[in-house]
Amino acid sequence: MGIYVVKRLLALIPVLLGVTILTFSIMHLSPGDPAKIILGSKATEESIRQLRAELGLDLPIYQQYLRWLGNILRGDWGRSIQMKMEVLPLILNRFGATLILTLASAGLATVFGVLSGIIAAQKKYTWIDRLLMLIVLVGFGMPVFWLGILLQITFGLKLNILPISGMYSPGQNGFLDLFKHLILPSISLAVGSGAIIARMTRSSMLEVFGQDYIRTARAKGLREKKVIYKHALKNAFIPIMTVIGMQIGFLLAGAVLVEMVFSWPGIGTLMVNGILARDFPLVQGIILFVATSYVLINLVVDILYAYLDPRISY
Amino acid sequence: MRWFFRVMITVFVLGAIVAGCSFNSPPQSAGENAAREKSIVIGLQAEPTSLDAHQISDYNSSRAAMEMYDQLVQFKDESTEIEPDLAEKWDVSKDGLEYTFYLRKDVKFHDGTPFNAEAVKFSIDRQIDPKHPYHDSGQFAYAEFTFGMVDHVEVVDEYTVKIVLKEPYAPFLSNLAMHAASIVSPTAVKQYGKDFSRHPVGTGPFKFVSWNPGVEVILEKNPEYFKGAPKIDKLIFKPITEDQTRLTELEAGNLDLIVNVPPDDLERLKADPNLQVIEQSGMHVWWTAFNTQKKPFNDVRVRQAVNYAINKEAIVNEILKGTGELANSPLPPSIWGHNPNVKNYEYNPEKAKQLLAEAGYPNGFEVTYGVPESGSGMQQPTTMAAAIQADLEKVGIRVKIQTFEWGSYLDKVFVPYDQQKDMDMHQMSWIGDNGDPDNFLYILFSSKQWPTAGFNDAYYKNEEVDKLLDEARVTNDKKKRTELYEKAQELILKDAPWIIVDHEKQIVVAQKNVKNFKLHPTGVFRFANVDVD
Repeated sequence: MGIYVVKRLLALIPVLLGVTILTFSIMHLSPGDPAKIILGSKATEESIRQLRAELGLDLPIYQQYLRWLGNILRGDWGRSIQMKMEVLPLILNRFGATLILTLASAGLATVFGVLSGIIAAQKKYTWIDRLLMLIVLVGFGMPVFWLGILLQITFGLKLNILPISGMYSPGQNGFLDLFKHLILPSISLAVGSGAIIARMTRSSMLEVFGQDYIRTARAKGLREKKVIYKHALKNAFIPIMTVIGMQIGFLLAGAVLVEMVFSWPGIGTLMVNGILARDFPLVQGIILFVATSYVLINLVVDILYAYLDPRISY
Repeated sequence: MRWFFRVMITVFVLGAIVAGCSFNSPPQSAGENAAREKSIVIGLQAEPTSLDAHQISDYNSSRAAMEMYDQLVQFKDESTEIEPDLAEKWDVSKDGLEYTFYLRKDVKFHDGTPFNAEAVKFSIDRQIDPKHPYHDSGQFAYAEFTFGMVDHVEVVDEYTVKIVLKEPYAPFLSNLAMHAASIVSPTAVKQYGKDFSRHPVGTGPFKFVSWNPGVEVILEKNPEYFKGAPKIDKLIFKPITEDQTRLTELEAGNLDLIVNVPPDDLERLKADPNLQVIEQSGMHVWWTAFNTQKKPFNDVRVRQAVNYAINKEAIVNEILKGTGELANSPLPPSIWGHNPNVKNYEYNPEKAKQLLAEAGYPNGFEVTYGVPESGSGMQQPTTMAAAIQADLEKVGIRVKIQTFEWGSYLDKVFVPYDQQKDMDMHQMSWIGDNGDPDNFLYILFSSKQWPTAGFNDAYYKNEEVDKLLDEARVTNDKKKRTELYEKAQELILKDAPWIIVDHEKQIVVAQKNVKNFKLHPTGVFRFANVDVD
C-alpha cells in the first residue's frame, strides 16, 4: 500500500508538468498582446515595448515558460490585471466558496443517487423503477443553467421561501444564512451527477442481486432490508464509490455555470469575469489551479479505492 | 448506510450550534437600529476591481466607489457642464497654461485628515510623478489621459493650489471632474500603500465600511459631508453577473436598483406598477466606419449612398428595442456642443441607387464588412451587421461579413490605412471619458488621430475640420468652442465617413419607492440626494 502511494505520487510529476505546459500554451496561443491589454487602448508604443520587456514577452517561448514555471513553483502566480492583487491569494480566497458548493452538491447527489438507485433496483421493471429512471434521464439531460433559473423563479420569486442568489444576505455571515443560500445552487449542480450515481447504483445492485450469497442470505430468512443494505449495498458500493469520486472532479469544474447563475462567489465567477476582462494571469492561474485539484482528487480516489477493496493489489 | 445518516445528523447539529452562536452575537439594539436604517441594495454586473478612484477603469468599480470621493470640480446633474466641488472657484491665466484653484476650508477626509492644497498635490503627483514615494501604490490607467498635459502642481498656500500645463488644453477642466482627478486622503495612502484600493478614503457623501470579495461592497453615510449628510444610511453593492438573476432578485424585492436589463424584458418592466425604469443617453456612439482612403469608399457619393440605404430607425427599434437612442451626430446630445440641427441620412434606397449610379457603380459592388463577436459598447454586433447587410443588398451592394474575436479585431482595425486588408468597412463604438466634445470629435475625426496614433478608424481627413478641431482645443471661451464644434459636425455629416447609428442608453430599473435617483451621462451613480419611502 505504501509503495503504491509513493508510485502514484511520483507519477503525478509528469502529469502536473503536462498540465502546466497545456495551460501555458492555451494562454499564449490565444490572440491579443497581454502588454496592450494591461496598458489599455490609450497606451503609447514605447510604454508597450517597455512592459513587454519587463514581463519577458520578448524572450523565446521556452524561456518564457521556464521563467513562468519557476515563479509558479515559488508561489508567485503573477498579479491579476483586473483585480490588482496577487493571483494565488485571490484564488485561495474564492476557492473556499467553490469547495462548499461542490461538497454540498456531492453530498446531495450521493444521497439521492444511491437511494433512488437502490429503490429502482429493488422494484426493477415496475412503474416505480421506470418513473425513477425517467426522472434520472431527464435530470441527466437537463441544462444546469435552465434548471437554475427555473428553481430561482419557483422558490425565490413565486413562493419566496429561499434566497435567489449570492452566498449571504447583505451584511450577514451566519451558518443558517449560508445554508439557505446553498440549497438552490447545490440542487442545480447535484442533479446531473445524482442521475449518473443513480444509474450506476441501480445496475451495480442488480448485478449483486444475482449473486449466490444474496440468494443464501434470503434463503436463511434474513429480513429484506438487511439483505439489501447490509449484504448487497456493501458489495455494490465499490463501483459506486468510483463514480462518486469522479463526479466530485466534474462538479468542481461544472460549478462555473452554477456559480454564474447564482452569483456564488467562487472561482467560477472569478474566472468568467477574468476572461471577460482578458485578465491573462488570473485565468491562467485558475486553469492551473482547477486542473491540479482535479488531478489530486483523482489521486485520493484511487488510493481510497485500493484501500477499500483488498482484492485489488498493485 | 447508517454511517451516512449519522454524518448528516452531526452536520446539522453542528450547523445549528454555529448558527445559534452567530444569531446571539448582535446586541439587541442593532436590531432596533436596523428597523430604522435606510439602505439601498444595488445589483451590479460584475465585482468592482478597485475602489481606489485613481485606479478605476470600469463602470462597476466607479459606480461602487465614486460616492466616496470628490474632485476639485464636478459635472452638473444630468449634463457634463462643470460646477465647483472641492474648489470654490478658479482662475485660468490668459495664456491658458495656469489653473489656480481656491479650495473649501471646512472639509475633512473620512479618516479625519484635513483637506488642503497638499492633498490635491499628493493626489495628482501620486499618479504622474514616477519619483513620487507612493507612485508604486497602484497602476493608474487614466493618469496619462487625465494629466498628460500637466507640467507640475504648486501649493500656493494651504487652500490655494496651482496646476501648470505644458500647453493650452481647453478640455482640462472637464478632466478634473473625472474619477482619476478625485482627491484621496494622503494619510490613508501612506498607511495602506498598495492596499489603499481595499481601504479607500475620500471626502465624499459615503464612507467605506467593508468589501467581501465576490459578495458585496458596503458603504455608510458620511454625517459630516460638507454638502449635508445623505438621506440613505447604507449603500450595498452586490455583483450579479447573470442578467436574468439580477432581474429576478429585483422582482423578488431583494434588490432596490439594477443595471443592464435584458432589452426583451424592458416593456414588461415598464408596465410593472412596483418598478420604475430610469433611462438616460450615455456618452456613447455606435457606428460603421468606411476606409475612406480606399476604393470604393474614397468617393463621398458612395458613402452617402450607403448611408441612405440603411434603415437606422429599424435597427434601433427592432434590434436594440429602444436601448439605444437614434443618433443625428457622432456627439451624443448629453454632451454640450452637440449640434441638434445637423441631420443624419434618412432611409431612402432610391436616392442611394441614384448616387451609386452617379458614382459609376450602377450595378453595385462587393465589400467586406468587419464585425467583432462582442466588445465593450458594441451592443449586438452580429445582428446589427446582418441588418445592414440586408439593407445594402437591396441597393445592389454585396456585403461579405467577417467576424473576429474582439482582441484580434482591435489588432486588425487599428493599423495604417494601407494595411487594412480584411475589411472595407467595420463596426466600432466609443464611450466618452470626460464629457468634453473634444473627447469625441478630435479623437475620432482629426487626421492626427489616424491609426496607429489614435482612434480615427475611418482615416477621415478634411483640412477644414482639422482646423476647427485644433482651434477648439486651445480656445478657453466656451461659446466660441461650441460654434466651432457645431460647424465641424455639419462638415463631418456631409462627408459621411461613418454610418452613425445610435447612442446606447444607460438603463436602470429601481423599486418605485426609490426617490430622486438620476442617471448621469458619465455612468457614475449619485446617491447623495436619493431617498426611500
